[in-house]
Amino acid sequence: MLEILGTIGGNVLGLPGILGLALGMMTRKLWLGAVMGALVGLIETLLFAGWQFAHVETLELVIALVVGVCAGSLGTAIRRKGATV
Amino acid sequence: MADSPEKRGWLGRIWNAIWTPAVMFSTGFLLLAGFLAGILFWGGFHWTLELTNTEEFCTSCHTMETNLGEYRETIHYNNHSGVRAICSDCHVPDEWSHKIKAKIMAVKDVYHELAGTISTEEKYEDHRLAMASAVWKKMKESDSRECRNCHNFDYMDFTLQETRAASEHQRAIDTGMTCIDCHQGIAHSLPPGYQEEYQKISDSLSAPSKEMLQRHAAASGNDIRTFLKNSTDQGGH
Repeated sequence: MLEILGTIGGNVLGLPGILGLALGMMTRKLWLGAVMGALVGLIETLLFAGWQFAHVETLELVIALVVGVCAGSLGTAIRRKGATV
Repeated sequence: MADSPEKRGWLGRIWNAIWTPAVMFSTGFLLLAGFLAGILFWGGFHWTLELTNTEEFCTSCHTMETNLGEYRETIHYNNHSGVRAICSDCHVPDEWSHKIKAKIMAVKDVYHELAGTISTEEKYEDHRLAMASAVWKKMKESDSRECRNCHNFDYMDFTLQETRAASEHQRAIDTGMTCIDCHQGIAHSLPPGYQEEYQKISDSLSAPSKEMLQRHAAASGNDIRTFLKNSTDQGGH
């Protein structure tokens, strides 16, 4: 349980959370924000695995993707609520 | 219909203020203010995180006194070179996301300090093997990542090492071993039965490759025979 919470925290304060949110804030399209967040999650996991799929842990990849999607979607929601353009 | 501003509570008024376009500040002002606030927040956050990496912080709990005493008897505390590895050098990863994960997981140490899980010498000894085992498993899984922040096979001059150390390090390179495979108890005392426990960890983590080897061993060998036959045939032509 702690392992999962720690991984989620690391991703929220890492690239998927922060860059995902920032990228999400650049669009009003929810699906695009979510996809960009997920891409950041995927790229970060691969980066830490030395660009080798064999070294990617499924749980870490899933958590990074979920956090990326959530952050991207939240970014889009912020854009919709807080900007008129 | 939305409430009028007068009827809203203070939370509602703050929420409304956050999402109302700013008419009294220019974009440049807001960008600069946000940038400065970001630096202050991130700097403060990072600085606080670094404070939790100090030896004073780690050993401020009563339960860490035993570990500290043992560590102070080792070469990582006192040595001829004057380089010291403190708690966080071995137990906290350098990479950001791994570091945050370790910090969040360390919350359990606070819980056990409050719960008194290892508050007496007897309790500490009862839990020593389990605690050591958890750290060994983490190190084995990460290929001794924290050891490698300072130590690296590429930087080792085997001619300067003792013969046994040099040959064991060469063996480690040849067989893909990791630091913790040999160096358990490098900073803390070893509990009884540690070798059996480490063997269990090692077996559990290498289970997939063992299964693969067993599959290969149990296979009929037809694929190898076919390959050898083809190679021979091609060689004959």
